[in-house]
Amino acid sequence: MSDKDTPNVGRRKFLGFAGTAAATAMAGCGGGGGTDTDGEQNMDDTDTPTDSGGDGGDDTPTERPEPETRDGYLQRANRRAHDQSPWVFLNRQYSVYGKSADIEWEARADEFIDAYEISPATDSGDDVVINQSSMDSGLDPQDHRETPTDNIVLQAYEGLLDRDREGGIVNKLATDYSRIEDGLIRFQIRSNVSFHSGDNLTPEDVAYSINRIVDPDTGIASPQQDQLAGVTGAEVVDGERAVDVMSEGLNPIVFSLFASYGPIMNKSWVEANENSYVNQNIDGTGPFVLETYEQDVQVVFNRNDNYWREAAEISSLTVTASSEASTRVNSLLSDESDIIVNVPPQEVSRIENNDGTSISAVPSTRVIFNAMRYDVEPFDSAEFRQAVNYAIDLESIIENVLDTFGDPTAQPTLDGFFGYNGDLDPYPYDPDEAEALVEASGYAGVEVELHTPVGRYLNDVEIAQAVAGYLDDLPNVTASVNQRDFSALASEVTDGNLETNPHWYLLGWGNETFDASQTLIPLLTSDGNLTSWSDEEFDRLISEAQSLPSEQ
Amino acid sequence: MSYGRFLLKRGLQGVVVVWGVISIVFLLRFITPGSPVDAVAPLDASPELRQRIAEELGLDQPLYVQYLDYLWELLQGDMGYSYISGIEASQIVVTKLPATIELAVVSSLVAITLSIPLGVISATRRHQPADYGATTFSLVGISTPNFWLGIMLVLLLSVEFGLFPTSGRAFGFVEAFRIMTAQGVSAGADAMFQWARHIVLPAITLGTYFTALITRLTRSGMLEELGQSYVQATRAKGLPESLIRYKHVLRNTLIPIITVLGLQLGTLIGGAVITESVFSWPGLGTTLINAINARDWPILQASLIVIGAGFVIVNLVVDAVYASLDPQVVAE
Repeated sequence: MSDKDTPNVGRRKFLGFAGTAAATAMAGCGGGGGTDTDGEQNMDDTDTPTDSGGDGGDDTPTERPEPETRDGYLQRANRRAHDQSPWVFLNRQYSVYGKSADIEWEARADEFIDAYEISPATDSGDDVVINQSSMDSGLDPQDHRETPTDNIVLQAYEGLLDRDREGGIVNKLATDYSRIEDGLIRFQIRSNVSFHSGDNLTPEDVAYSINRIVDPDTGIASPQQDQLAGVTGAEVVDGERAVDVMSEGLNPIVFSLFASYGPIMNKSWVEANENSYVNQNIDGTGPFVLETYEQDVQVVFNRNDNYWREAAEISSLTVTASSEASTRVNSLLSDESDIIVNVPPQEVSRIENNDGTSISAVPSTRVIFNAMRYDVEPFDSAEFRQAVNYAIDLESIIENVLDTFGDPTAQPTLDGFFGYNGDLDPYPYDPDEAEALVEASGYAGVEVELHTPVGRYLNDVEIAQAVAGYLDDLPNVTASVNQRDFSALASEVTDGNLETNPHWYLLGWGNETFDASQTLIPLLTSDGNLTSWSDEEFDRLISEAQSLPSEQ
Repeated sequence: MSYGRFLLKRGLQGVVVVWGVISIVFLLRFITPGSPVDAVAPLDASPELRQRIAEELGLDQPLYVQYLDYLWELLQGDMGYSYISGIEASQIVVTKLPATIELAVVSSLVAITLSIPLGVISATRRHQPADYGATTFSLVGISTPNFWLGIMLVLLLSVEFGLFPTSGRAFGFVEAFRIMTAQGVSAGADAMFQWARHIVLPAITLGTYFTALITRLTRSGMLEELGQSYVQATRAKGLPESLIRYKHVLRNTLIPIITVLGLQLGTLIGGAVITESVFSWPGLGTTLINAINARDWPILQASLIVIGAGFVIVNLVVDAVYASLDPQVVAE
């Protein structure tokens, strides 16, 4: 079902020597026409395998030569995190879809269902219905940021850049982009693009859209403000069909951010309408035009025949939602839906055993982990934290709890992301080692409690119970699970105050930028918004990485 | 006490109840852990962005200010705006309420037309096969959880036989009716057909418990009344048995049934949450669940206020009907 069935060693070796280049191609803008920095990127790790830890057992970073590239620093940071274990490293989640034989479609890692990529496979595949777990939270693409909403609004709105199915950056409303200097990038804006209302796309629309997100005086308190991190504003370049975007500092992943965030809206349309109207109507440039919007019920799109690319292959697209997984599955089985999202493991066989439907699963960008606060007993001991990692049988959790819809991870950064360290292996299941490390940490006999949200992530409670169960099996630790409401747990973790965090908690983290920094900085640096850890060496590595341009 | 004063008193009591609902729901927001800002802001949002969102939503004001503002705006008919979508709460509730009322009314109609004859037959043919059939049905109906029944109906009738859609609502009854007047009988008939196909399974799911309950009530009420001395008196006067049963006995049996009907109709409006969820029925129940998941308090408050007010109104109507059937109620 997944590549985890192939021997990990072989794959990691390959990645260690050649795969970082591949990782760059996936994460970076290789195909995007970018003229950013060094074209001979990312050779240092292949030239100096010791840099990314090719020597395995040696985990004293000071004995390695300093990395030379951003990728090298991020890989080193991942090694540091692996060795110091601020987390119980768990797994990468899979996105599991049910699909009708009426259409041809492949899932993407970032969970966005791009209806433009859907082709009819039979006569009844021309009008496609997607059934997801919830509807949009409003149609203003700059006011919201979560997958169900994206799956609706981004059929009609487009950004400057976009991603292909593997996560690589591609041009959308920009025809070219380049770094002028540190903190200043320039986008060339595509001509002959019109909004659904008929207005032509201008650089003013682009500059306005970016400012609406990042500039409190222009726009709204957009949740995307922090996702276009460091971007301070945009302005039209005199005499050119181009827009300059300013950032604080270098902003190494700025193109990656624009490939995921910052959809472009029609300035005059937004300014002429109330917020409530903008949230119930669409004036985008994308391949589908809004036909009807019934809030919380369904959204119907028709093909945009004046689209700047070839018109989409399907003629209409309907998005509906059923919060009950079994309702979604039933709607697929009775041919009312063509794609359903979030198929739970127990429903997989019903779909596979039915004629005309199949499962489409893809590794997502989300990682599931258990954070351990470095400042409280017993988690202030690196030995204890490592012991927890040795104590759990991760393969068994993935096999039995997740029905193999997950990949083990040994670091916060996922395989294929920029900064992934291909030489790290998950901690093996070794209860004896775990027991010895608990003794060595001086915390033998301790009681710990794992806080987990209920129903937020696929089988989250079951994963937490398995982890606590394995730890509890050690003769010198007692572990239990505390089931929490997600929002309450999130409030404690996100309030910027480490002392309000539970000592040990399960969380998931999606990273749409395909770059290690978007996980490492908020979750593990000393001043990250959701951090549970403080480590000088780790902070230094990240800070070095962020001072270098990305090799993208 | 006159009939008018009785109604006025009940009306005022209703207003107090609704005010209580408003206040409790409002206070719940403050004792519920987690802030609504978490629903709006992404997990990695900076404290500054959280602060700005809180200000934009008016959450930085003291509790009493927010409460008084909210009451004042409610008095003017303004239920606030969704934290998530920015859409007016009253607009959302008004567009969702018809689907829920439709479902509740259709379930009740089905239940009443089935249960009262069933109950009468059961009582008048006591210890005969019809009675055993009806009592077995009501026992099963009362014991079956409706979400399970809904899923089973879908599996059997929708997925297996393809007779009904698995979920959703194509038209409202009013829209279907409008189509009929605007586009002619055949388009209208088609719309009505679509409407009916979609509502059958949710209505059965929601109405089964109700049907079973009223069947039992009718049966026991009839049996009790049939044993009364006035029945023997009317029999002795030589009135035909059918007249005794339907004019006298059933009429007296109906009084407690109307009370239960009223209460249950309120429950159906509020309690359709699970059924709506199973069938993705776009009503107030689904809206309520979504609002809870999203911590969208204005929508949550608006939905609960409407459900609470619905209960109060239904009870008022029941009291009014009850009082007109039994003048002793007014006197008490």
